[in-house]
Amino acid sequence: MLELLRVRKRFGDVVALDGLDLRVGAGRIHGFVGRNGAGKTTAMRIAVGLATPDEGEVRWRGAPITDDDRRRVGYIPEERGLYPKMAAQAQVAFFAQLSGLGAREASQAAARVLDRLGLAARAGEPVERLSLGNQQRVQLAVAMVPGPDLLVLDEPFSGLDPVGVDLLADVLRAEVERGAGVVFSSHQLELVERLCDEITIIDAGRVVAAGPIDELRAGRGGDRLRVGLEGGWTTWAHAVAHVRVVGVEAGEVVFELLPGGDDQEVLDAARRAGRVRSFRRELPSLAELFREVVPAGGSAAPLAGGDVRRAS
Amino acid sequence: MTRWKAVRLVAVREVVERLRSKAFVLSSAVSLVVVLVLAVLPGVLGDDDPQVHDVVVAGDGAAALVAVLDGIGATPGGDGVEAGLVDDAAEAERLVRDGEVDVAVVGGELVVRDDVDDALALLLQEAHRQVAGAAALAEAGVSGDVAARALAPAPLERRVLEPVDEDDTDREALVFVGTVLLYGQLVGFGYWVASGVVEEKSSRVVEVLLAKVDPRQVLAGKILGIGLLGFVQLVGFVALGLGAAAAAGSVELPPETVRVAAEVLAWFVLGFAFYAALFAAGGALASRAEELQSTTGPLTFVGLGSFFAAVAAVGDPSGVVARVATFLPPAAPMVLPIRSAAGELPLVELLGGVALVLVAVVAVVRLAARVYQGGALHLRGQLRLRDALRMGRG
Repeated sequence: MLELLRVRKRFGDVVALDGLDLRVGAGRIHGFVGRNGAGKTTAMRIAVGLATPDEGEVRWRGAPITDDDRRRVGYIPEERGLYPKMAAQAQVAFFAQLSGLGAREASQAAARVLDRLGLAARAGEPVERLSLGNQQRVQLAVAMVPGPDLLVLDEPFSGLDPVGVDLLADVLRAEVERGAGVVFSSHQLELVERLCDEITIIDAGRVVAAGPIDELRAGRGGDRLRVGLEGGWTTWAHAVAHVRVVGVEAGEVVFELLPGGDDQEVLDAARRAGRVRSFRRELPSLAELFREVVPAGGSAAPLAGGDVRRAS
Repeated sequence: MTRWKAVRLVAVREVVERLRSKAFVLSSAVSLVVVLVLAVLPGVLGDDDPQVHDVVVAGDGAAALVAVLDGIGATPGGDGVEAGLVDDAAEAERLVRDGEVDVAVVGGELVVRDDVDDALALLLQEAHRQVAGAAALAEAGVSGDVAARALAPAPLERRVLEPVDEDDTDREALVFVGTVLLYGQLVGFGYWVASGVVEEKSSRVVEVLLAKVDPRQVLAGKILGIGLLGFVQLVGFVALGLGAAAAAGSVELPPETVRVAAEVLAWFVLGFAFYAALFAAGGALASRAEELQSTTGPLTFVGLGSFFAAVAAVGDPSGVVARVATFLPPAAPMVLPIRSAAGELPLVELLGGVALVLVAVVAVVRLAARVYQGGALHLRGQLRLRDALRMGRG
């Protein structure tokens, strides 16, 4: 649906995007991941037309994107922005009209969306009088009110409380159910892993990994086994052949099968060592994948882990 | 969606939200009060109201003098005279002393408290002369028509070689108030445009807006919406101001009032296009309301200079200042209606002035569009004009 092709963008001496590709499909949730300063916001601003690429192009359903196409895109900018003194519903209706809805239609759609986001009772209040959480909901309402074909959301989960995270996750699932495409950036990798069908990981303005999230996880690091013994016994693990011990988490040993490795041999070894309480195959987490493809170092702080917020 | 629809939506939002804004309503109310005060004050304070002088007469020939005074009825200055009889000189003097009457005529004397209106004194002398003359003629056996012709000949008719238009001062006052209004609307609503632009930047909503709408459409909608408000408000001020002035008797509205008012409104449209575009550019250079002072400062200065040129033109519509200002686009919208109202605007200068303003409007609108495109999304810190123009090129 939306494609950024070989997009380059410089700001003075800084190369923000260095031949970036991004493809977002209809009916899919696409996670956009990278360190601070990797170029996510710039790419999204280019997608919605707030910035123009120095090279490369933005395509919509196979053709260069037009202004009319962009009216079919809902956008939440990195820095939230609403008219502070304008009533929530009037504001949402205004943006609905700018997206092409008629006056009555826009007003009804605004009421409906605010109701769905639990703001029906506050719809007449100026946005500046709402709590920050509710302002975020109005921001989301502005993005989704026209029933857009695509949602481009820059850090939509940041600053949300757990209830807000769940609400937004539900809304995004419902939007793709309806057939819309969604692309959002986030540092909350567990959330991305849970919600997204596809991801693009970028670093220094370039794609370092992209594709369906399960394929990426399966393709990197290979098959994994997670084995737990009663009593949290782990020292047996070093005796198993054709595996690499990835680590020990919560009393369970995580193995990566090397060529010639056999899960049944691991199970036998475990049973010889004690009572097996858990034994399952798993894929590497997105956080692990991220650490693998994005080189540590530079001035940017490592993202995964510290920034993760559990949704439930 | 057509371009026009986006422009209209932005404009309608500007109008609706400003009408709901306390700051706007309050400033409009203050302006209205100023307009009404300007309109009503000359009528209330005006000292050319006709007065009525009270005169009492006592003693010999008092009745005859009162009759003559009643016949004349008014001083040459247009003030009324009411004459009455009192019984004796002491009573008359007491009335003067107490200030109940302006003057008493008693036994060949004009009795006044401290001073008396010259025209009234002249009138009393004339009346006294007629009464005394009539008595003398009657003694000499002359009476009837002959006596009347001798005492009160037909007055000399006045023939004015270079009449002064009595409307002139009234017209000048009206034009001056109109100029103040026009200046206030141009700069005041221009500033609304600048602050509207910067509000969208400081609240960051401009990113959401420009993801949907072309910057030029936002700019056009904003200028149109706020301009429409300014125009309607100006129509209201002019109508209420003229109505109040007429009702309070401040001025007699000259016959060309409607034409002058229409010209002022037309010049508001052109002038606002010029000033609003530049104010929008000033807003696009600022990222916070505090920075507006410096980014729109030069423009405010130009507006004030133009206003002073206009004030000079009120006094001397064909003077050097007025003629030069005619060809300066920031000043022309204020100066040309003044010269036109005074009837001292040659057609060539009118056309030249209008043409230059139109050219300037096209130029500043293009400039503003480029500065706005460059500056609208620059949300941190004040932007230099040169940088905004460079960024707006794309």
